[in-house]
Amino acid sequence: MKSMFDLNKIDAQGGGVENTNKQAHQETVNVLEVRNLNFYYGKFQGLKDINLNIEQGKVTAFIGPSGCGKSTLLRTLNRMYDLYPGQRAEGEINFFGENILAPGQDLNLLRSRIGMVFQKPTPFPMSIYENIAFGVRLYENLSRSEMDERVEWALKKAALWNEAKDKLNQSGLSLSGGQQQRLCIARGVAVKPSVILLDEPTSALDPISTGKVEELVHELKHEYTIAIVTHNMQQAARVSDYTAYMYLGNLVEFGKTDELFIKPKRKETEDYITGRFG
Amino acid sequence: MSKPKFSNHNPDLFRRRKLANMIGLSLSISAMAVGMLILIWILAVLFYKGFSEIDLEIFTMNAPAPGSEGGGLLNAIVGSLLLVGSCTLISTPIGVMAGIYLTEYGDRSRVAGITRFITDIMLSAPSIVIGLFVYAIFVAQIKHFSGWAGTVALALIAVPVIVRTTENMLRLVPSTLREAAYALGAPKWKVSFNIILRAAQSGVMTGILLAIARVSGETAPLLFTALNNQFFSINMNAPMANLPVTIFQFAMSPYENWNGLAWGGALLITMAVLTLNILARVVFREKVQG
Amino acid sequence: MPDKHLSSQFDADLNSLSSRLLEMGGLVESQISTAMRAFTQMDIDTCNIVIENEKLVNDLEIQIDLDCTELIARRQPTARDLRLVMAVSKAITNLERAGDEAERVATRTKSLIESGSPHNINVAEIRLSGQMAINLLRRSLDAFARLDTVAAAEVVTEDRQIDEEFRGFVRKLITYMSEDPHVISTGLDMLTIAKAIERIGDHAKNIAEFVIYIAKGSDVRHIPHEDLVREANKQ
Repeated sequence: MKSMFDLNKIDAQGGGVENTNKQAHQETVNVLEVRNLNFYYGKFQGLKDINLNIEQGKVTAFIGPSGCGKSTLLRTLNRMYDLYPGQRAEGEINFFGENILAPGQDLNLLRSRIGMVFQKPTPFPMSIYENIAFGVRLYENLSRSEMDERVEWALKKAALWNEAKDKLNQSGLSLSGGQQQRLCIARGVAVKPSVILLDEPTSALDPISTGKVEELVHELKHEYTIAIVTHNMQQAARVSDYTAYMYLGNLVEFGKTDELFIKPKRKETEDYITGRFG
Repeated sequence: MSKPKFSNHNPDLFRRRKLANMIGLSLSISAMAVGMLILIWILAVLFYKGFSEIDLEIFTMNAPAPGSEGGGLLNAIVGSLLLVGSCTLISTPIGVMAGIYLTEYGDRSRVAGITRFITDIMLSAPSIVIGLFVYAIFVAQIKHFSGWAGTVALALIAVPVIVRTTENMLRLVPSTLREAAYALGAPKWKVSFNIILRAAQSGVMTGILLAIARVSGETAPLLFTALNNQFFSINMNAPMANLPVTIFQFAMSPYENWNGLAWGGALLITMAVLTLNILARVVFREKVQG
Repeated sequence: MPDKHLSSQFDADLNSLSSRLLEMGGLVESQISTAMRAFTQMDIDTCNIVIENEKLVNDLEIQIDLDCTELIARRQPTARDLRLVMAVSKAITNLERAGDEAERVATRTKSLIESGSPHNINVAEIRLSGQMAINLLRRSLDAFARLDTVAAAEVVTEDRQIDEEFRGFVRKLITYMSEDPHVISTGLDMLTIAKAIERIGDHAKNIAEFVIYIAKGSDVRHIPHEDLVREANKQ
């Protein structure tokens, strides 16, 4: 049986995009292709016929008023909704060509390839070291020194190494809010996924921590594909390459961020981003 | 510049409110005082009657034969420790697993609903009924009293407590933590044991300690199962000495030294339960993050 | 703007920005009218009025630019609002320069009056194109007020006429000046005045192009005329 998640190829997929100066021609690869996606909470339809592509090596932002379905959409991408009975998705989501909505998919493996960071920082009740090692141990067998390296690498990627290197054995809960969120990002990055999903990652943080996380997104995007849900439009404008505007479960407009914020194609989009509500 | 006027428009209203506040406060304090008074009274009597009995002898000598002088409670203490200890060893895994099942796996299923219902009933079941039940299915079959029967009876009391507290504590763990663990690709059992249980460990430990505290004082179930033993024994297949039943026996007797030992034993049990409770609250209190 | 922002203060700020632009436009319009009147009547006092009021135009430019900067700092406008602010910031430059041109007309007229030498150059073209320039500026400001791209496209088209008039007048002047060298200095003053008017027309055209940018989102500067008209008429 073909395994799209061949872990031996972690670096190829998780390592992501080849350096641009190596490529003679840019080929846009779509990591995720959403086709005719409909989502239901029981009888209520949360997503209506969504079609879009998430391009590799780019940051795609989802904006829209509360209840528009942006978080719902994000949570279909790693089938997080599966934890809750009564929620179901119909349609196709192709991850490197394979439909992850098809029955019989190994969800745990999927989630190790498509990681998620949540709004509220949630460090595990363990040491900082263990927080990161936990995820890595799930699918990889590393020696102690290899694990040490991986932990350091992940913390460096999350710009937390300097602050945490002397307290790796302290509980993750002993960090400040902004540091905890960066720990969660480090945790997600440590398992070298192909895609990182960020669900309002800075909503609970102060402006400086927010800035650090945004800076992080900017650096991570070279190696990972990132999808971010945010209710802060300026944040979407700052960090993303593509933006999707959603309203009441519909994908109203999807396009390059620069274009969408200067000359949106739909009036609904313009009304939202300029702050005009009926 | 004139002083700002506070809207003390209605000095009468203010006075009335103050009065009502005073009345409410006094009533609450009196109620508390009554409760505290009774509690202190009990402890005071226990200490008064039992403290003099606590010496080295009580821990080193076995129960005295009827009529004989002196003696201690060694066999009863050891017996209680064995009974409560083995009960803990059996009921903790069962209770915690059941609690995990109810929160993580079953949750809304019919089986879970039935389990919860039964747990609730057993929580409030009279302990003497449980004792009789174990008598009927166990003791009557093997035709003699046994320490293991006592263990089973105690476990039947402890398990519902542990299940209930474990479930409650696990439920308190925010679902975001659960999701964060799943989001890394962790399988369900790892999420439940390594993350959720760990996050709730203080609460779960507290629950276990409280269950132990409860069963260490139970008398009625032991009456029909472990009964008592005048001699020192660690054979769980035979009647087992234990503090509650011993106290029962000694307190009702006409012998002075027996009465005295009963008070001593009562004090011992009370101190043990008190210590366990304090331990549960102090050592395992949740570390609150700012 | 038909729709209202959630923040009424933001609405007020944007509206105020637009009105101040129109206010500046009105001031510049009157400057040009007065300058043209000074030229037609050869009246020195009228020239001085224009020269004095030039300061007001400059002050307005500075104030409105400051308003634009503050609005960007405070509101981080996007889409249509962003285009409006960007356009206003550029349009006031055009208006300020049109004001400079009006002042140039006045100073040249003044020097014509002071030199006193008679001439027989027919200045009908200057008067005519002066009128056209004022008319174009007024219409471009109207188009801005209503964000009417069709009217704006018309302004762009008609500016070509002023350019034509100007070229015609230059040819005439060259003839006059080559026939009679004594009128060269007068002729050069006239040329400057005519050039100033031609430039005013260009500034009106620029403002019209910004109107299309705000309303349609397309930057129509430097594109072929047919494309501009098509863009303006797009629904």
